[in-house]
Amino acid sequence: MYVSIEDLCFEYERKKPVLEAVSLTMEEGEVVAILGSSGSGKSTFLRVLSGLEIPRKGAITINQETLCSSKKFVDAEKREVGLVFQDYALFPHMNVYKNIAFGLSHLTKEDRKARVYEMLTLIDMEEKVNAFPHELSGGQQQRIALARALAPKPKILLLDEPFSNLDADLKHKIRKELKEIIQKTQMTSIVVTHDYDDAKAIAHRIIYLEDGKILREERLHN
Amino acid sequence: MLRRIRTKLNIFTIVSVIAGLLIIIPLLNIFVELRQPASDVWIHIRTYLLARYLRNTFILIFYVALLSSVLGFFSAYIITRFDFKGRKALSWMLILPLAIPSYIMGYVYGDMMSYSGSVSRFFRSIGYYGYINVMTMQGAIIIFSLTLYPYVYMMVRGALLKQSASFSEGAQLLGASKWRVFWRIVLPLARPALVAGTLLVILETLNDYGLVEYFNVQVFSFAIFNAWFSFGDVLSAIRLSAILMLIVFAIVFLERAIRGRRRYHLHTKTRPVKRVPLKGMQKLYPIILWTILFIAFFIPVLQLLWFTRFARYGLFNLNIVYIIINSISIAVFATLITVIIALMLANFNRGRMSSIKKSWLKITNLGYAIPGAVLAIAVNIFFIDLDRLLYPVYQLFNPETGRLVISLTLTMLIFAYVLRFMAIGYNSIEASYDKIGESFTEAAYALKSSKIKTLMKIDFPLIKTGLLSAAIIVFIDVIKELPLTLILRPTNYNTMATIVHEYASDEMLVEASIPALVLILVSSIMIYILTHAKSKRGASNVR
Repeated sequence: MYVSIEDLCFEYERKKPVLEAVSLTMEEGEVVAILGSSGSGKSTFLRVLSGLEIPRKGAITINQETLCSSKKFVDAEKREVGLVFQDYALFPHMNVYKNIAFGLSHLTKEDRKARVYEMLTLIDMEEKVNAFPHELSGGQQQRIALARALAPKPKILLLDEPFSNLDADLKHKIRKELKEIIQKTQMTSIVVTHDYDDAKAIAHRIIYLEDGKILREERLHN
Repeated sequence: MLRRIRTKLNIFTIVSVIAGLLIIIPLLNIFVELRQPASDVWIHIRTYLLARYLRNTFILIFYVALLSSVLGFFSAYIITRFDFKGRKALSWMLILPLAIPSYIMGYVYGDMMSYSGSVSRFFRSIGYYGYINVMTMQGAIIIFSLTLYPYVYMMVRGALLKQSASFSEGAQLLGASKWRVFWRIVLPLARPALVAGTLLVILETLNDYGLVEYFNVQVFSFAIFNAWFSFGDVLSAIRLSAILMLIVFAIVFLERAIRGRRRYHLHTKTRPVKRVPLKGMQKLYPIILWTILFIAFFIPVLQLLWFTRFARYGLFNLNIVYIIINSISIAVFATLITVIIALMLANFNRGRMSSIKKSWLKITNLGYAIPGAVLAIAVNIFFIDLDRLLYPVYQLFNPETGRLVISLTLTMLIFAYVLRFMAIGYNSIEASYDKIGESFTEAAYALKSSKIKTLMKIDFPLIKTGLLSAAIIVFIDVIKELPLTLILRPTNYNTMATIVHEYASDEMLVEASIPALVLILVSSIMIYILTHAKSKRGASNVR
C-alpha cells in the first residue's frame, strides 16, 4: 500500500473527539474524496495528515515511510505533503513566480526556474508569472495554489474544499482542469469536499465521513 | 451641474470642505512667508547650525524608529504567538508607557541617573563609582523608544492577530523552517502595520520638544523654538518649519513608493494562529517583556511617587488643582470638537469615493504629520491675520479694543489641537464605519430618514465603540501635548504638561512630580478603558 492510515484519533483540547479511529489505505496514483458535512472532521483529517495537528493516537505511513506513530512524529515542514488550502493561502506579498518557487529553495537557481515554468506550463498560466495574487481571478488563484503545492514533488497532494470559493459556472471548468492535472502528474491525492458531484467528478473512491468516523466507502469508475 | 452640486451638498460635505480649508490655509501661510528676504539670523543658522540640526534629526529618528520597531514587533510577536502565565495582563499593560510623555520620562531618568540620583547612589553603595549620563543623544533615543514603542506594538499586534494561520502553515508545508516562515511570511505580511506604527513613532519624535530641550539634543523642533524664542526671529522659525515639513512628507511618500504593486492581504478567511507554550530559552521572553514594562513604566512612576514625599504642598495646592481642572476640561472640550468633526468627515467619506474626495480627506488628516512647533507657527500666523481682518468688527463692539483678540484666547489652542489630532479621531471612526458597511445607513435613507437622524439613530449606536476609542486616544494626546500648548496658550494659562515642563526646566522635579503623576494616572485609566472597552461583547482588545 502506498498510503496507510491506521486508527487515527484526534481531539481539540477538552472537546469531544473530532476523529475517531479513522483508517484508510490508498494505492499509488489513487484519488480519494472524503465527503462529509460541515463539522464532520474532514478538514481536520487533512490537517492531521499534513502534520499541522498532532493526533492522540494512530499511525500514518506514506511510501513506506512512517510519518506518525506512537514513537515518531515527523514535523509538517519535513513531511513532503502538498496541501491546497480552502482559501488557497497564496502569499499576497509575493508574485506568482515567488509563490511557486517558495518550496524549491533546495534547488539551484536554474533548476528552480525550470521547475516553476514547468508548473506554469502544466496549469497553462505562463503569462501570469509576474502577477500578484490580488491581480488574479479566483480560478487562477486556485491553479497557482495547485502549482505551488505540486512544485516540490510531494508524496501526496491534499486538497481542502477546492471548489468552495468558485462560482457555479467556473466550478465545472476548474473541476475538469484539476482532474486533468492530477491525471497528468499521476499524483496520489485526497480531496475533501461536502459536494457529492465534486467528489464523483474527480475521485476514484469516495469515503463518507460523519462525526469523525468513516461510515462507508463507494468505489467509482473514473 | 447645479443639480449635482445640490445633491452632494449636505452637512457632512460642508463641514469637510471647511475643515480642509482651515488646515490648508495655515499651512500655505508657512510657504507664503518663505518669500520674505532672509534675515541675518537665518544666514547664521544656515551657515553654522542647519547641517547639525539635519544630522541630529536624522540620527535621532533613525535609531528611535529602529529600536522602537524592534521592541514593538518583538513584544507583539510574543504576545500573539505564545501562551504563558500573565500574557493577558501584559497584552494591555505593554501599552501603558504611552501614558508617560517622553519629556516626563526624560526628566525622571535624567534625575535618577545624575550624579546625585537614585541609580548612581545605588551603584556607589555597591562600590561602583562611575555614572551613566543619559542626557545625551543616546539617552534621548532610548527614552523615545521606550515611550513610543507601544504605537508599533499596538499596530503589529492587531496585524498579527488578523494574519491567517494558513499563510504560515502553507509555508511550513512547503518545507520552510520556523525561522524562514518568520522572515519570509510573518514579518513581511505585518510590514504595513510595522511601517504605520514606526511612522507614528517618527512623527511623535519629530513633534517632541520637551525631551530634546531638556537633554539639549539639537534637532529641528528644538531649532524652531530656539529661532523663535532665543533668536527672536519668527521668519527663521518658519523656514525651519518648512524644511521639517518637507522631511515629513518625504518620509510619508517614500513608504508609499517602496510599497509599489505589492499587497499584504487577500480576501481570505482568517483562521487565527494557535498560540503555543514556551519551550527552552523561549521561557525568557516574559521576563524580557516585564523588564521592558518596568523600565518604561513602573520605575518612572515609582520614582515620581517617591518625589511626592518631598513636595511642599502635595495635592492640596490650589494652583495644582486648578491646573488639573484646566487640563482635563480643555482636553475634554478639544476631544469633543475633534470627534464631532471626525464623525462628519467619516460620513463624507462614505459612498462612492472620487479622487477629489480622497485627496481632500488626505488634506484634512494632514495635521498629525505636522510637528507641533510647525503647526503652532502656522496657526499663530493664521489667527493674527484673522484678528487683523476682524479688527474693524471688534471696533464696532468696543472702540478701545486692542488689535489682537481671538489670538489671545484659548480658541487658538483648541483650534490647533483639533487640527493636529483630527487624523487620529477620523481613522478610528472610519475603521468602525468600514466594519458595519453601508447597508444599514442606506436602508434608513430609503425609509426617508434625514442625514442627521440616521447619524444619531442608526450609525451612532453601531459605531459607539469606535467613537469611544477615538475620543480616548485624542484625549490622551491632548492632555500630554506640550509644544503646541507652550506656544499657543494664553499668558499665565497652564496645563499639567506645561507646568511639569516649567518645574522640570527650573530643576524642581519634586514639585513637578504631582502634576506628572496625575497626568500619567489619567492617561493610564484611559488606556485601561480603551483596551477593555470591547470585552463585554467578547471582542476585547485584550487578546
